[in-house]
Amino acid sequence: MGTPELKYQLKEQIIKFLNLISVTPEDIKDDEPLFGEGLGLDSIDSLELIVLMDREYGIKITDPKEGRKILVDINTMVDYIEKNRTK
Amino acid sequence: MFYIHQSSCISAQKAFSDPSETSLTASVNNKLYACDANYDMIPPNTLRRLGKAVKMGIATGMQVINQQAVDGIVIGTANGGLEDCIKFLNQIIEFEEGRLTPTNFVQSTTNAIAGQLGIMTVNKGYNITHVHRGLAFENALIDTEMLLQENPDRSYLIGGVDEISEYNYTIDTLAGCYKKEDVSNKNLLRAASAGSMAGEGAAMFLVNNSKQDAQASIRAIKTLHSTEFDSIEKTIQDFIQEHVSGEEKIDLILSGKNGDARLDAYYEKCVSLLPANTPVGYYKQLTGEFSTATAIALWIAVTLLSTNRLNALLEIPATLQPKNILLYNTCRGNQHSLILISKP
Amino acid sequence: MSRIVVTGIGIISAIGDNADSNRTALQNGICGISSIDLFETKYAKELPFGEIKISNAVLKGHLRVSFPGVTRTSLLAQHAFEQAIADSNLSSEDLSDESTAFITGNTVGGMCLTDELYNDANKRSTDSPYVNSYDLGSVTVYLQELYKIRGISNTINTACSSSANAIMYGARLLKYGKAKRAIVGGVDSLAKFTINGFNALHILSSQQCKPFDQNRSGLNLGEGAAFLILEREEDCIQKKKYAILSGYSNANDAYHASSLSDTGEGPYAAMTEALKNAQLQPADISFINAHGTGTENNDLVEGVAMKRIFEKVPPFASSKSNTGHTLGAAGAIEAVYSILSIQHQELYPSLHFNQSIDTLALEPLQTFQKSTVRHVMSNSFGFAGNCSSLIFSEI
Repeated sequence: MGTPELKYQLKEQIIKFLNLISVTPEDIKDDEPLFGEGLGLDSIDSLELIVLMDREYGIKITDPKEGRKILVDINTMVDYIEKNRTK
Repeated sequence: MFYIHQSSCISAQKAFSDPSETSLTASVNNKLYACDANYDMIPPNTLRRLGKAVKMGIATGMQVINQQAVDGIVIGTANGGLEDCIKFLNQIIEFEEGRLTPTNFVQSTTNAIAGQLGIMTVNKGYNITHVHRGLAFENALIDTEMLLQENPDRSYLIGGVDEISEYNYTIDTLAGCYKKEDVSNKNLLRAASAGSMAGEGAAMFLVNNSKQDAQASIRAIKTLHSTEFDSIEKTIQDFIQEHVSGEEKIDLILSGKNGDARLDAYYEKCVSLLPANTPVGYYKQLTGEFSTATAIALWIAVTLLSTNRLNALLEIPATLQPKNILLYNTCRGNQHSLILISKP
Repeated sequence: MSRIVVTGIGIISAIGDNADSNRTALQNGICGISSIDLFETKYAKELPFGEIKISNAVLKGHLRVSFPGVTRTSLLAQHAFEQAIADSNLSSEDLSDESTAFITGNTVGGMCLTDELYNDANKRSTDSPYVNSYDLGSVTVYLQELYKIRGISNTINTACSSSANAIMYGARLLKYGKAKRAIVGGVDSLAKFTINGFNALHILSSQQCKPFDQNRSGLNLGEGAAFLILEREEDCIQKKKYAILSGYSNANDAYHASSLSDTGEGPYAAMTEALKNAQLQPADISFINAHGTGTENNDLVEGVAMKRIFEKVPPFASSKSNTGHTLGAAGAIEAVYSILSIQHQELYPSLHFNQSIDTLALEPLQTFQKSTVRHVMSNSFGFAGNCSSLIFSEI
């Protein structure tokens, strides 16, 4: 799967996983911060996204602080997924 | 004694929230699901995480708080966000205690409704959740009565909420709470079999000590845990003797009769202890049975004190305008409650 | 207004199955947090717990329970309940008198039976004995039916402050004349539900918890139960009395569903209001039994709030370093410890502390000591911002 497809798929997964209301993949920009401004996610969402990375891509992030560096925006997540995915 | 000033309700009956609607909403598959409500007041980033019980609690609670600020929040709910609770449980089993998502866990704790209302309104005052099955809402009333003795100038939000979850429905059906055969709510009270029909809903009230412009007064609350008829009979007699005196009379009994033939005798006993011509209204065919259904019954009683628009649905005389209403309910035949509510 | 006194106590925790054994363990700095023996969970090897090393079969034997459908939560509650009523000499007539109130705090109820609940909820069972035993109220109802308790009864869930609120509710029922005596307390047993819930929030430590330490790494879950008998002083002149419940309060942090605000608004309000309710000044407090879970968020925020209130923070400790975090039971267990401190005029140390939190510079008490103990504050803070403080005083 190429990067653009992976980005689109990830956006769909995030919307479904976090049950985001009236947000489409097109609404999420690749370099828009996921937390605070932008999508407005919070610390519980970051724990949810860590589970998403595990279940969808077989990536185990054990330290939530490490997670914060990976879960910055779609670009950083996809970058990490491409390098570390086990499924 | 304290006074009700605002009230709101979400139930299975459209007619409760929409005065132009007069017909009875029918049950679906032996359940009376609460109507969809307007949840616009909940920010999208909060709303996406909430199960139905928390949403119903917030919607009814905010409707009241938006009218007047409160000093504390007192909620009765037997099970809170049970659907989320069992979703989390299912994850534990299905992912074999693997990496799980925390949102279901956080939202499933029964105190999430009161907590979320506290967060949304930045209310740092008294905040509590009573969960004692069929007396959860009654304990919220007792608590509030004491709060208003301690802090006579304050106002409190008080409410009862519970939801139907598929899982809970299964467990409570195994426990014999609901009918196994198909039944329509229209015929629920005429059924001669064991079990009732599942329901859900929320009702919230703003209460304080001010009589002025009040919708209703809560004059007395009594709870009892017993299955013995003598004990229940004495409690009802003492309650009426103590609180209804002289010229006064109970104009209406709002009975929690729920179609479970095993419990009919309790409700008949209560009616038999009042003067023979006292009208009796029923509501569980409208709301279904759930642990905090008395919160909806209280909302119905408040409404009956000022309008007769619900009389037909309750199958009471169209012209009846009660001043004093007695609510009697039993949950599973061992938890009993009496609430006396009057025109202020 | 009447003074509310404690005339009986009962307790079971990972460090003992009665008040005496708990006291000895506290004096000697015994930690009951270890690898799990009885409870089955995937995390048995990875995480330590404050498990009570008494099996359900043994508990049932002691308690003469031979009927089906009784959960571990109910058994632990019954154990502490029976001690408390015996300690206060309550007869069966007292118990079934309508003026006896019974209030329990708990957060898991019968959900300790995760697998049974899963099977029942998902239509995989037919004749489960537990279908009436899962809800939180079931624990209270079980004891009500066993002891024919008919008066005002209640179950409260304000997460980790549940039983502090149960104690407060009972005291208020006495003050406002709604009951003559109140049996109040709380219980929780280890459950996959809470283990996995707290684990999903990444706040369980793989080591024994280190409350108020700079390098603390989370909490350990525990289990237990405790009950107190509360009476109005004038109703029990002839009876043995442990302490006065002199103040209490309930407030909300109104910030986040599962963490406390940086400035500790809820803890600050709870402690301040409890002092006001007891008509005491901060300097009157001899000792604080802190909530002190060992999580990054709680200990920092609790410390910040204590510093806002106390010019000089009094000696404080977290007994969760002995018992683990017993959730719905914590408020009642720690009330018993506060009462033991007053009864015996001694203070129990906090365990596993090495280094103060940088920004706080607060050290919990680390050695057992005899001391003059007049007023003890006990804090309990929970999810959904539910914060409560109790103050127990010398008679």
